[in-house]
Formats: sequence, C-alpha cells, structure tokens
Amino acid sequence: MRSHIREFDSSTLNESVQNTIMRDLKAVGKKFMHVLYPRKSNTLLRDWDLWGPLILCVTLALMLQRSSVDSEKDGGPQFAEVFVIVWFGAVTITLNSKLLGGNISFFQSLCVLGYCILPLTVAMLVCRLVLLAEQGPINFMVRLFVVIVMFTWSIVASTAFLADSQPPNRKALAIYPVFLFYFVISWMILTFTPQ
Amino acid sequence: MKQALVDDTEDVSLDLGNEEELAFRKAKIRHPLATFFHLFFRVSAIVTYVCCDWFSRSFVGCFVTVLLLLSFDFWSVKNVTGRLLVGLRWWNHIDEDGKGRWIFEARKASPQRSVATEAEARIFWLGLVICPLIWTVFFFSTLFSLKLEWLALVTAGISLQAANLYGYILCKMGGERDIGKITASFLSQMVFQTASPRDFQKPGLKGLEIHKH
Repeated sequence: MRSHIREFDSSTLNESVQNTIMRDLKAVGKKFMHVLYPRKSNTLLRDWDLWGPLILCVTLALMLQRSSVDSEKDGGPQFAEVFVIVWFGAVTITLNSKLLGGNISFFQSLCVLGYCILPLTVAMLVCRLVLLAEQGPINFMVRLFVVIVMFTWSIVASTAFLADSQPPNRKALAIYPVFLFYFVISWMILTFTPQ
Repeated sequence: MKQALVDDTEDVSLDLGNEEELAFRKAKIRHPLATFFHLFFRVSAIVTYVCCDWFSRSFVGCFVTVLLLLSFDFWSVKNVTGRLLVGLRWWNHIDEDGKGRWIFEARKASPQRSVATEAEARIFWLGLVICPLIWTVFFFSTLFSLKLEWLALVTAGISLQAANLYGYILCKMGGERDIGKITASFLSQMVFQTASPRDFQKPGLKGLEIHKH
C-alpha cells in the first residue's frame, strides 16, 4: 500500500457535490450494463465501487423473506442470513484468489462478485412472479429453467472479469469457489416458498 | 505635559487584509450544510439502531434503514465533508497494470486562507472518532446479550466508520509515520483548546491584538 501526499488538483476535487453524486451514479449504472452484456473491458475492475453489490444484496434479501404468521419474528434471521452468505462468501473467494497468487485487489474482486449477482436477482424477481400462479411441477420446471439460465449468466460474467487475473495453471482453482458461491445463492432462490 | 504614548483609548491601526483574514479565520462555520450532514447521518444511524423498537417492530425495516444511513454517511464523509471541512481526501486508484494503491491528499494551507476553521475541524474529528467507539460498544452489548442477528449490522457499522477514520488519520499523518507522536499532539491540542480557548493563540497573531474598549 503506497501512499503519497500532493497538492489538490482542482479538476475533480473542488467539484460541486451534485457533480460527485452524478458521477458516482453514472459509474454504478455503467457497471450494471457491463454485467448484462459481459465483454472484456476494464471498467468493472478499474473504478470499483460497492454500491451495486449493496443494492443487489438488500433487494435479494428483501425478496427472500418469508412472510410469517407471527409478525414479531418477521423473517429476521433469513434476512441477515442472506447478507452474511453474500458478503462472507465474497470475502472468502477474494481471499482464496489472492492466496492463489492472483493480481486483483481485494475490493475489485468484491465489486465484480457483487455486481454479478444481478442476473440471480432478476431470477429471484421472476420466480416470485411465477410463484403467484398455481403451484405444481410446471411451475417448478419454469423456475428451475430460469434459475439455471441466470446462474450460467452470472458465472460467465464473473469469469470474464476474474479469470484473467489468475496465473494460467490456477484458473480452475480460482473459479470453482465462484461456482459454489453462485450455486448456493441459486439454491436459496430455487427452494424459496412464500410461506 | 507628556501624554502617555499609548493609552487605552488609542486605536491600533491594522492592515485591512489582516483584519479580513482574522474575521474569516474566526468565522465559526464556513460550510454549515456540510457540517450538518457530517453529523446527521452518523447520529441518526445510532439513534435509529437504539430506538428501533419504538418506531416499528420490524427487524428488516430497521436493518435496512440503519444500513442505508451508514452507507450514506460513509459516502458523504469520504467524498464531501472531508474535503470541505478539513481539506483532506483519500481514495483508491487502480493503475494501468491492475495494481491498486491508496492515495491520501491534504490541501496545503495558503497564506491567504487557512485550511479549516477550528470549530469545523473540531466537529469533524470528534464526529469521526466518537461514532466508531459507540458502534464498538454496541458490538459488545449485542454479543453478550446474544442478539446475534444484529451482529451483522453492527459489524457493518464498525467497518464503514473505522474505514473513514483510518483513511483520514493517514491523510492527516502525511509523511509522519509515527502514530504515537500524532496521537499525542492531537490529544494535547484538544485538551489545550478545551481548557482555555481564549488563551490559545497562533504565534503570528501576537502583534495584532485588537484593543477592546
């Protein structure tokens, strides 16, 4: 961690607050686009931020709540559970890839893993809508199909960004925890029932 | 009859520029909005966490509200109030070859204007230091009362606030690597100012006292 002190340069550091907000919002939006159309680009990695992962995590956790009869314990443990799984899982994968000698920084990796939850969040939304219809095997098959497609999308998107940072003989070792991570989330989505 | 060379009612003529500079430096708060928001998000996160049982019985609502307040506080302290109130900023920069490094900046004080007023700097640093301590107290109280579902939230609070504190301390340290010396000088400055604010004078002002009638 090198650091150095230098004079303020007035280009971005004396900008108005509104400019700062708009700049950050646009950066978040651009990253969402990059996840939806994964191409080899450095944007997701270079200007990392954790707003997207936070929004996605909160949305996913809210949708994964069970409505219970007793309003006192209203899905509290499940909500915190999703948070812990997502963030602790992402941190573990990052540590794993760093230990394997990858040259990606801690927060970049968290950023990529967090943003690539977007397809699974969409899958959760679709599943909740599908569950409003009549339950049955067809219902389940539809949900299974959607979840599998989105799971593959997440894996492809995150691999596109993360695989390059690993030495060539370690790629599989670094990618399989990502596979496990998104698998656990997909499992939570697939086995969700509203009551 | 000899008149006294200096008597109490004689005005001391001052440079107008210096008087303005004095007034500007003595201005209590230059950025009222930034000061307000610096404290608003932190304090309301703590208040919401403590009082959430009174507002609503929903764990989820309280969790999400406190988390959002903590995130907004982290962003505003890191990006806005730091550079407005004390002229410090820190961020992470990724190089061309993918290496990340942390950059800490401090605005140099120019002779025309000082970097920060005393009141703003005091509010900034007190807010920055006290809130993580409060969240640490919450951590232990949650742990020992076994309300473990709140632990995730408290951990998030501690990490976000401690990150800002650490970043700004590194900015303030500048080239100085000895944390002990910085802490000692900071603490002595706070104690000195609190004890006798009127006596605390920068050396350059010795000759510019304004006579009061």
